Amino acid sequence: MARKISMKQAVNEALDQAMAADPTVICMGEDIVGGAGGNGEMDAWGGVLGVTKGLYAKHPKQMMDTPLSESAYIGAAIGAAACGMRPVAELMFIDFMGVCFDQIFNQAAKFKYMFGGKAETPVVIRCMVGAGFRAAAQHSQMLTPLFAHIPGLKVVCPSNAYDTKGLLIQSIRDNDPVIFCEHKNLYAHECEVPEASYTIPFGEANIVREGKHCTIVTYGLMVHRSLDAAAVLAKEGVEVEIVDLRTLSPLDMDTVLESVTKTGRLVCVDEASPRCNIATDISAQVCMHAFGALKAQIEMVTPPHTPVPFSPVLEDMYIPSAAQIATAVRKTIKGSK
Amino acid sequence: MQVQNPFPLSRDELLTVYRQMRTIREFEERLHIDFGRGDIPGFVHLYAGEEATAAGIMHHLNDGDRIASTHRGHGHCIAKGVDVVGMMKEIYGKKGGSCNGKGGSMHIADLSRGMMGANGILGAGGPLICGAALAAKYRNKGEVGICFFGDGASNQGTILESMNLAGVWNLPVIFVVENNGYAESTSRDYGTAVDSYVDRAAGFGLPGVTVDGTDFFAVHEAAGAVIKRAREGGGPSLLECKMVRYFGHFEGDAQTYRAPGELDDIRANHNCLKILGDQLTAAGIISQSELTKIDEEVMVLIEHSVKEAKAAPFPTLADLTTDVYINY
Amino acid sequence: MSDIQTPPCVGIIANPVSARDIRRIIANASNLQTSERVSILLRVLTTLAASGVERVLMMPDKGGISAMLLRSLKRERSQNHQFPELEFVDMSVTSTVNDTFFAARSMQQAGVNAIIVLGGDGTHRAVVRELMLGTQAGKKAVPIAGLSTGTNNAFPEMREPTITALAVGLYATQRLKGTQALAQNKVLEVSIDQGQRRDIAIVDAIISRDRFIGARAIWKTDNLEAAYLTFADPQVIGLSAIGGLLEPVGRTETGGLTISISDDPGRCKFRLKAPIAPGMIADIGIAGFERMPAGQPFSVALEAGVIALDGEREMPFDTHEQVSITLHENAFQTIDVTRCMQVAAREGLYIHQPSRLS
Ligand SMILES: Cc1ncc(C[n+]2csc(CCOP(=O)(O)OP(=O)(O)O)c2C)c(N)n1
Ligand SMILES: [Mg+2]
Repeated sequence: MARKISMKQAVNEALDQAMAADPTVICMGEDIVGGAGGNGEMDAWGGVLGVTKGLYAKHPKQMMDTPLSESAYIGAAIGAAACGMRPVAELMFIDFMGVCFDQIFNQAAKFKYMFGGKAETPVVIRCMVGAGFRAAAQHSQMLTPLFAHIPGLKVVCPSNAYDTKGLLIQSIRDNDPVIFCEHKNLYAHECEVPEASYTIPFGEANIVREGKHCTIVTYGLMVHRSLDAAAVLAKEGVEVEIVDLRTLSPLDMDTVLESVTKTGRLVCVDEASPRCNIATDISAQVCMHAFGALKAQIEMVTPPHTPVPFSPVLEDMYIPSAAQIATAVRKTIKGSK
Repeated sequence: MQVQNPFPLSRDELLTVYRQMRTIREFEERLHIDFGRGDIPGFVHLYAGEEATAAGIMHHLNDGDRIASTHRGHGHCIAKGVDVVGMMKEIYGKKGGSCNGKGGSMHIADLSRGMMGANGILGAGGPLICGAALAAKYRNKGEVGICFFGDGASNQGTILESMNLAGVWNLPVIFVVENNGYAESTSRDYGTAVDSYVDRAAGFGLPGVTVDGTDFFAVHEAAGAVIKRAREGGGPSLLECKMVRYFGHFEGDAQTYRAPGELDDIRANHNCLKILGDQLTAAGIISQSELTKIDEEVMVLIEHSVKEAKAAPFPTLADLTTDVYINY
Repeated sequence: MSDIQTPPCVGIIANPVSARDIRRIIANASNLQTSERVSILLRVLTTLAASGVERVLMMPDKGGISAMLLRSLKRERSQNHQFPELEFVDMSVTSTVNDTFFAARSMQQAGVNAIIVLGGDGTHRAVVRELMLGTQAGKKAVPIAGLSTGTNNAFPEMREPTITALAVGLYATQRLKGTQALAQNKVLEVSIDQGQRRDIAIVDAIISRDRFIGARAIWKTDNLEAAYLTFADPQVIGLSAIGGLLEPVGRTETGGLTISISDDPGRCKFRLKAPIAPGMIADIGIAGFERMPAGQPFSVALEAGVIALDGEREMPFDTHEQVSITLHENAFQTIDVTRCMQVAAREGLYIHQPSRLS
């Protein structure tokens, strides 16, 4: 039986193997090593949550701590990528993208097109996403739609350790800029992961549960909430099919359309704010391409249109729950033509 | 014998300052304990050890003067006059907290006190305080803006851009570097190419001064000079306070990046509260028993705030969607 | 001369935090940036190397100087520029004046031929204080050469550091003898309660009615009570300028000067304008002044206050404490750069045959 590791270990292992395989892979970020310039332990942190712990000892030349200057080092990662390196820059929380957004959406995303196809920018920007950490409005957002919106960027958001390892290695090998979103509430989640290096291609959704009555399209932590809902619904005789998108750009619409054609019902679940998000995008495309297959109106489950609240009770109400998802599925069944 | 007060503050003011610093210390010590017990959710960055800086600066300010704080903001809040019970409720995520439970430790604000918010984004306060100072300049009442930021955040572009803007517009802004030697686990020595903030300021034509941030009187005197200058139209300047952080970067940090013995030295030799207490008692104008009495009163206040916070109700579903817009 | 170490070794103490005090706010005093301090050190090091000094022992710091110097040396050496072997004193850095004390002590112990000091009056005072303690304990006296890191100082002269380094090089490599290269200096010894607490000043000891240390630099004149000066030069800046404009006393002249200061109409005899900080011309009420003969203790009349030593408030004293101040001559040695260079020129020390060019 293959061994089980956590998503946190999967990230670490993917980086380790990628650096070992290719000396142009360099990692940079605030405290990804830790203890720099001090008189105590070097590699003291390995990232705020210890995700990169131990990598400095193995790859001292490929692990760089940075000053607290996101515009500068994220931009530098992009510049180095355009000059033959494969940097993996860590931005801690996706919320900090605001500080260095220009480098990402005006520079990295556009080089290839603006320069008439002559540039390649194989940079990966890793960041934590999502609510549930009691980290309040500036450390909890799910900003995936913001990046999926921008032509030139690829956006990845895995839901488990297996996908994380394969997609991260793919992201590093990919020649386009990739925003790699790691849900902080999934770091401890474990599953079977092969020891050898492997990749998962972009734009291939994963059907994590098969069913015939209703399709749930989702990604990240919401995959697990949807699975919980499916377990409840199964007892009611409702078999839900769950599509884990894995990559939000490119987006595997073929798998979504195929599933919706089969079930005739669609619930889109997204942890991002409700306006102009991945759920609205999927619904619009399904309406365009599979309207005839729909037996009921599409349902969406998202947080309310508010910043992420701090108070634990409010935050728990904010994050879409399995119960909300189950309710939405029941609505599609009841409301069927 | 009548003892002459050798200090630039009255006896009453000195007692108030001591109380304020003690309140910050106890507030943080208590959070440290309660967080360890699992009572407190989220990220908590404690200000303990750095009290003399907040108190030395804030003593010169009124409610009309604005401050932009940091992720390590509890000390700034207390010194700026934010209600301690409201703060404690906020940190517990309760209704009736400074931000009704919506902000938490990292976002406590009280605009009526000129406290423009603790901030989760490093360096974000620089531009904001330039705006506050611009508004003050229009009001023309001699109000100032103080931007607090750490040695780490000093490397954000926003801070450098703000120094330039403040210089260009001659804004009444004081840039206060709270230099505690670390940004998370990274030593200041690694993160800054030229390790003098006074030099940085000079690059923008701003005068700067470095003081021992653990000595209340040193901070108070230097802050008095830079704030007076700003109030009178003399423009922006920079104040670097060298200080020490008592606890980890955030609660739960094992601090293995520190040298062996470093923390013991900090607590034994750089305890700003003890330094102030010793100065006051040595001068003979305030007795140890008066200080002890304040310590006890502060303990009661903190205990009270925790009780209130625990007893306060949580926000409800109806609160979730309020206050996103003024109207929508 | 046997008292010179071979191979020649020079100590360097560069204070990273000098000239960062409140005078920059209240009087636009100049600030020598860290990068500029490092440039000075690089000039000093190349000059020492060219003078035949093979080793330099330096104080480490956490204020950015040593870090930046090492970075710069790496770049310079990769271009094959010549430097002496640079070694840092083995010590843990506290970023307080204790670093200077420790470094000066270690350098004296190690037998360096001279110490180059980069800093203001306060830094020089700290080095001298430690070296004097060492000499009293039987160690060999070490001369210092000062480099000013601002215009705020009275003790170190303003001069291009290359020239200072040349003079140090001449002495350290024995091309000049002590009698040719060195000057003697005076100090003020401050003693509280018969030596319970003791300290020194190399330029001025100022008594103020303030009783707290605060931001250290002394800059307010309304509470001044008295000044004690080792020398008083009308061309230097600082509180000693009061003496300079009243009754100049040379650095090598015998005796010092003491001045009573008061705004009290009953005591004030006349007023004097003096540049007590850069750009700050203060109006001082003078109650009297007299020469201070060496070796004679002067007791301070004020009951309680603070003593500023060479510009920084250092020693608060209380009503029950007795303060006395004594001038001592021949207390420590400095490299007399002017004289060194004149002798070097007169004796043709820099002239050599083309064949000797390496
Ligand atoms: C834009 C941004 N980048 C990174 C962080 C994560 N972070 C929070 S505090 C901190 C270190 C701050 O160091 P410093 O400015 O010295 O303040 P201190 O914590 O020492 O008070 C970091 C990197 C953040 N909150 N915002
Ligand atoms: Mg810091």
